This record gives sequence, structure tokens and C-alpha cells, in this order.
Amino acid sequence: MNKGFAIDCIGYALFAVFVVLIIPWLANYSGYDLNVYARYLVLGMAAAAVALSWGTAGILNLGQALTFGIGSYIMAMHLKLKASEAQAGGMPDFMGWTNMEELPWFWEPFQSVSFTLAAGILIPVAIASLIGGFMFRGRITGVFVAIITLSLMLAVQLWIISEQRFTGGQNGLTGLAALELFGWSVDVYGLAFYYMVAGCLLVVLTLALLFLRSKAGLVLRAIRADPERTRFFGYDVSTYEVVAFATSAGIAGIAGMLYAMILGFASPTYMGLSLSLAFVIWAAVGGRESIVAATLGGIGVNMAEGRLSDLFFDQWTLILGVIFIVVVLFLPRGLFGLVMDLRIKLESHFMANPISRMNTSLDKHRSETTASQREGK
Amino acid sequence: MKRRDLLKGVAFAGVAGATGLGGFPGIWTGRNAAWAAGSDIPVGVLFSKTGAVAVVESTLHDACMMAIEEINDNGGINGRKIRPFVEDPASDPATFADRANRLVRRDKVVSIFGSYTSSSRQAVLPVVEGQNNLYWYPTLYEGRECSRNVMYGGAVPNQQQQDFVPWLKEKFGGRFYLLGNNYVYPREENNVARKILKGIGGEVVNEEYVPMGHDSFSSIVSKLRRDKPDVIFCTLVGDSDVAFQREYHNAGLDPKTMPVASLTRSEIEVKAIGGEAAAGHFSSAPYFMGYQSAENKKFVEAYLKKYGQDQVTHFVNEAAYSQVYQFKNAVERIGSGELKPSAIRDAAVGQRFMAPQGEIEIADNLHSYLWPKIGQWQADGQAKVLVDSKSRMAPEPYWAYEGQECTAEGLQKS
Repeated sequence: MNKGFAIDCIGYALFAVFVVLIIPWLANYSGYDLNVYARYLVLGMAAAAVALSWGTAGILNLGQALTFGIGSYIMAMHLKLKASEAQAGGMPDFMGWTNMEELPWFWEPFQSVSFTLAAGILIPVAIASLIGGFMFRGRITGVFVAIITLSLMLAVQLWIISEQRFTGGQNGLTGLAALELFGWSVDVYGLAFYYMVAGCLLVVLTLALLFLRSKAGLVLRAIRADPERTRFFGYDVSTYEVVAFATSAGIAGIAGMLYAMILGFASPTYMGLSLSLAFVIWAAVGGRESIVAATLGGIGVNMAEGRLSDLFFDQWTLILGVIFIVVVLFLPRGLFGLVMDLRIKLESHFMANPISRMNTSLDKHRSETTASQREGK
Repeated sequence: MKRRDLLKGVAFAGVAGATGLGGFPGIWTGRNAAWAAGSDIPVGVLFSKTGAVAVVESTLHDACMMAIEEINDNGGINGRKIRPFVEDPASDPATFADRANRLVRRDKVVSIFGSYTSSSRQAVLPVVEGQNNLYWYPTLYEGRECSRNVMYGGAVPNQQQQDFVPWLKEKFGGRFYLLGNNYVYPREENNVARKILKGIGGEVVNEEYVPMGHDSFSSIVSKLRRDKPDVIFCTLVGDSDVAFQREYHNAGLDPKTMPVASLTRSEIEVKAIGGEAAAGHFSSAPYFMGYQSAENKKFVEAYLKKYGQDQVTHFVNEAAYSQVYQFKNAVERIGSGELKPSAIRDAAVGQRFMAPQGEIEIADNLHSYLWPKIGQWQADGQAKVLVDSKSRMAPEPYWAYEGQECTAEGLQKS
């Protein structure tokens, strides 16, 4: 476990260097490239949110895009109100088209920046706590959690599409103003914005890592391995599960808020099936056991997608699909698992001490069995 | 065990390789370096080849590419070839924004031709407005937009309805049943229809919206039986339109007494519905494949020859085709001046082009003067043009909203 911590720290430091120094260099410090990379970072953050509940607590949330999408709509509502200040009654244009008389009450508070920023985190957390409370106190686990989260997301998406007069419907919220923070008008194509996104990502990951290293994190891993036994030890399993679920929702909410700013609109596709499944795939490719690896999975797959769609115009979706299948078949623990395996091999190769060799092979055996147990689930 | 390890290694190399490709802009593509030296004119072509709207958008892609090839085969523009940068945004708004961003920032295109749905246009808008580029959008749409960075090649509501609604009332009666999918386009068209009907003494017997992709219309057919409207004014799109028309046909309703009058149904939808079931109903559009003109004959022949005899041309891919020629005319007018998007826009205004539908003109507000027509669908899947507009009709994207007008200076309110 301590070894794992060291690895995480090294990985995290390398990751921070990658994000803070290498990406801006790759992008030539040019705004439009940085905007694209900022988008990748945000999607990586969403993958980290999936890994936090899936990899750590064993809760597979197929509806992660729900809280991501809610975060994006919350930010977009604020920016839309700002863009509509000159309109009659301060009402967004699409409300006029759908013959609304006045701004609905639940839009009002989003005039305020601080309310919006708080809501973008707290509303996803509250929603997740509520759903999680029902699910985990009812001892719903495994595939049923996946089904519930998925169907809930699709239900909300349908509602958003159909309630056009409140939500902009199919087109979503478009024509947004720039965010103003402490008098700084955020230019999403600037270096400063990129660093803001990178800063958010690093802070979120640091906090999440601290959380996972705390006692709560340990209990969560125990729950992943065997919820019943953990319960017999006297831990309140469902509360821990709700906390993990809600934390991951909060992270997804932050990612969603940034995403709406980067693309300049919020769309119902942000809480769509394909994006939500993509989050899970990215986390699986990177390695769901480590949130840093999952983040890298999100960033890496999106970079690859961008490049593949360039090189193979007609076949890029196919190639990407094949890569996913290969990873799931041969690397069930993702690239993170591969790195860990390599490390164990190298150690047992170079270490003369037979006792430590025995220990590492035991370690390896242990990790393989838990991995296969999880697969079986 | 050995084999498994080997496979693992290969898989890792594959993923790492693919990921690595992402990290080195320029090295793997070489596109910029290769074309910067030439004097080609870079344009973006942004239509989905995969995903939900690929069926329609791929035909827009085809028409656009055909025009580019024709122009290049005839010596290009002022001796320079058009260099299309083709992207597949996969019917996803976020991907549309990403690809448009890439076209503008990396490929340095001077214009982008693209997209079918309103949501994709609005996803691209922040990118083209932020970079002051130019987006050529060929699709009919709901109006109420007045960007200085979009060339709107399709009809807005007043162009499709001003002649159509009074004509329907005179022929069949003024009791309209408004039926559409639940999103901004049908609602906006219906706002306009209500306004016209009010002015000519018609009435709306029902206004109904079904979710996107909805395909079960038996309850609506029974409502139609109950209400017996004179006209079913239809803004269903894609699969919903096809499913509705089939249900209508199977229920044995009669187009002579209760015709479907559609603003969205083109040769593509009719092909999917089947000529038999669509026969006798009406559409309003600036272009039909069966329209008789020398330009259209040439266009249809070339298109079928290139893409297959089973293909159809329709009012959106006709516009996608024409817009490339409008672009050409604008670039020609600039001559040796600096080729930047805003200059192309300014040179395009007032340009006339002899399109398959008739001579069209780009208005001050960047929308198009068009030739609205009323067509009646025949059993062979083609429309017979019953009414052809006497003059070019002006585009008024804010027609239904008094005191608002889209002009060369943007949206004006009085």
C-alpha cells in the first residue's frame, strides 16, 4: 500500500509537469490549440470522476454524464443570462420564441456568479446524495446501480429536450457570454484560461487523492473488495458509498461547468448515452484503480481520437473501437495495470533477495485475484 | 502465458502509438507545410458522414464536393484551385465545434461549408464568430438569427409560407392542424403559420408536438379523424415524417380532402416513405428535383452520374451545391485582394447566381433571395411543381416579429 502511494505521487508529479509545462509547449502557446487541450483535460476530469466511484468503491455509474451535463447547464444558464441582459425582461431569446411571459423563478438566482459556481458543485452533489441514499441504503449493487444511473440520466435528458421553454430543448443553450470572475473577463482561447482549467484539474485530483489516502479511502477499498465483511466490521457501508458517489458527482459538475465554457454552449448531448459510456471507456483504458491514470486515459483517448480522425477519415471510429476491445480483452486493468505488472516484473528480476521476491509475487498474485474477482462481478 | 504477454505488448504499443500521435501536431499530418507553399484556396467541408443525420448530410457533402470538383476542373478560381479540408463531425454538436475549430485554426480555411441541423450550426457559431470566419449553411431553418459570420443559403419561414399557406387555404380550406417534432424549428414555423392564418381568416384546430424520432402515430391519426382538419401542416423531420406518412396511408386517409402540407419533406424523405404513400401531398420549397430548367437538368444529370442513378437531389443539397458557386463568385470579385473571410462575405453580398432553382441572390442580411415553389408528390417519388413564384422572394428572418429586422448592420430593433 505504501508502495502504491509512492507510485501515485510519482505519477501525479509527472502528470502535473505534463499538464502545466508539456501541453502548452505542444500547443505552441497558441490559443486555439490550448482550447482543444483544455477540452481534453476537462474530459479527463470526467473520467477521473468515474474512476473515483468505480475504481475505488466498485460503484459503476453509467450515468456520470448526468451530473456532468447538469454542471454544464448551470454554467450555461448564468452565461446565457449575462448575454441576454439587453433583451426584454433579461429573458434568453429562446424563451421569447416559445412565448414565455417572464423569466422562470429557478433561472433568477443564476444571475449571480458565486451562486452559479456553488450550484455547479452542490446541485450535482445533492442529486447524487439523494439517489445514492436511496440506492445504497436499499443495498442495491453492481449492475443494478448501472441500470438505475443510466435510466435516470436518459430520463433527465428527455425532460430537458422536451421542456424547450425552460431549457432551450434540442439545441441546448447557445449564444453564451464570457464568464467574468473578479473583473476578469475569461477568454477561453487564452493561455490564462488553459491554466485555469489545468489548475482546477490539479486541485481536484489532489483533493481526491487526499480523500482516497484517508481512512475513508481505505474503507472504500475494503467495500470494493468485500462489502459484507466491511459491514460486519461495523462500518456504515452505505454512507461511505454515498460519499464516494456524491464526490464523484461534484467533480463531474466542475468538469461540466468548464466544458460549457470551452465549447461556448450546453447541449443535451452532454448528458447523452454515448458521452456517458465514453467516460467509462476512458477510465477503463487508463486504469480505473487510479484516478490519475483514468484522467490520462481521458486525455489520451481524446488526443488519439483527434489524430485518428485526421489520418483515417473514414475508419477512425472503427480503429478506436478495435483499440477499446483490445484493451478490455487483454488489459482489464487498463494501462495502469500494465505499468504495475511491468514494475513488479522488473523488481522481481533485479532483486536478489528471495524474501522480497516472494512477497512481490504474492502481491502480484493478490492483485490478479482481486482483478479477476472484480471482472466476475 | 508467453502468448498472452506478447499480445499485451502489442496492444500496449498500439494504444501508446495512437496516443503518441496526438502529441505531435504537424509531424504526422504535414498538411500545413504541404499546402502553405501552393496557392490553393483552403475551405472546410463539415458534413457528418456517420451518426444520426449522416443520411441527409452525406448528400450535402456529395453536392458540395461535386461543385468543388467542377470548379477545379474548369481551372479553379482566378487560376487557383479550391482545396477542401474534409472533416466528419459524426452528428455530434461538440464534435462539430471541435472540428470547426480545427479547420479554422490549423488548416486556416477561409470559409467552411457545413451542417444540416440547427444545433450543429449553433455549436459552430461561437468558433466562426470568435475567429471572424465564414460559415456557409445550406439548410432551411427557423430564422431569428442574424450572424455576420454565417451565409444562410436555405429558406427562412416567410419564404416557405407566404405563398403556401394562403394557397392551401384557398384550395382546401382554412382549418389547419399543426403537427411537428418538439424542437425550435417546428415551433417557430408554426408561430409564423398562426400569424399568416390569423391575417387571412384561417384557424388552427390543433397544435401538436411529438418528441424527436417519435415513430408511432396511431393516436394522432385518430385525432385527425376526429378533428377533420382541411390541411395537416407538417413540420415533422426525418424518421418521424416517414413513420407519420406511412401510418396516414395505412389508415386510408385521403390526400384529396386532408392533405399533408410539409415544409421539411424533400425527395429524401419521399424515397423512404415510398412514392405510393406520399403521392398527392404537398411540400413548399425553393427547389424540387423534378423542376424544369436547363440548370437543373445539368445539375441532376451530373449528380446522378457521379453518385449513382438511385440518388436524389433535393432542396438542401441544391443549396449546398449553389453555395460553393456563390463562394467562387465572391472570391473572383475580390481578385488579387487579400483573401480573408470578411472580405469574401462583403464581396458575396448582392451576388447573383443562376442556380438550379432559378437566379438566386445574396441579401444584405446574408440570407438568400429564393424562388419558392409548391410541389405535389407523385407516385414516382418526384414532385410536380404546381406553383412557381413570380419573383425572387426576400428573406426576412424576423418576419413574424414586429420591430425586429436583420440588416447589414446586424439585428435592428425599433
